[in-house]
Amino acid sequence: MTTQTRKVEVPQGWEAFAWKWMRYSGVLIFILAWIHVLIQDILVGVYKIDINYVAGRWHGGFWRVYDFLLLFFAFSHGMNGTRQVLADYIHGAGARRALNWILLIIWAVVVVIGTVAIFGFTPPAA
Amino acid sequence: MSFKTAMEGYAKYEGLGNWAFILHRLAGLGVILFLIIHVLDTAAVYFKPSLYAEAVSLYRSPVFGIGEIILVLCVIYHGLNGLRIIYFDMINPNLWTIEINRKSVIWTWIITLVLWLPAAVVMGSHIIEHLGS
Repeated sequence: MTTQTRKVEVPQGWEAFAWKWMRYSGVLIFILAWIHVLIQDILVGVYKIDINYVAGRWHGGFWRVYDFLLLFFAFSHGMNGTRQVLADYIHGAGARRALNWILLIIWAVVVVIGTVAIFGFTPPAA
Repeated sequence: MSFKTAMEGYAKYEGLGNWAFILHRLAGLGVILFLIIHVLDTAAVYFKPSLYAEAVSLYRSPVFGIGEIILVLCVIYHGLNGLRIIYFDMINPNLWTIEINRKSVIWTWIITLVLWLPAAVVMGSHIIEHLGS
């Protein structure tokens, strides 16, 4: 059986941007998230993680920026993914508008909380 | 009803490619659900350190330990299958044939399990070491 792909014109609107965003951010998250999981879940493990561990890790700027990038890209990717999944089951225009707003608000709130914590944290005096 | 329509649509489209699609979504939804909780619990180091200590002790329970092993499976599968989709979509769309899709799904799962099993052994042994402590 032969299958041929054919070129179709896709309107370059918001949804086309969101579709591409999932793929470009996916490559970046693949690197950031796998290194994060390898270090924190497998090599270090939750039994060695406490507030002092976080303080040591966020002592300098490197891991703070790393964690911020992971937070921003992974969370944006995930919330847009959630939106795309739910949009397959929610077909009404009004319901979709509501869905988009709810997810946008959750996205903004969680990203702001995480960002404030990453850059605002100062290690407790030992 | 829209939900029923969507489910029937999926049910009619069978094959490994469809399973890869459904599992990609389930794994992604699982990871984002954990990610929301994880960002908030880690943010507690800044907002309420005592809450962070409580969250970590909860994560150290065996039930969460097993959940973490499943989470790592979701991250590995979603990541590898995602790269597969990205490669097909962005670099070589001619690969979107039923046969190549089928084979690449099988390879994705082989690589996923090869990477996940050692991780699961390491994490599982951590859980066993800390049983009762």
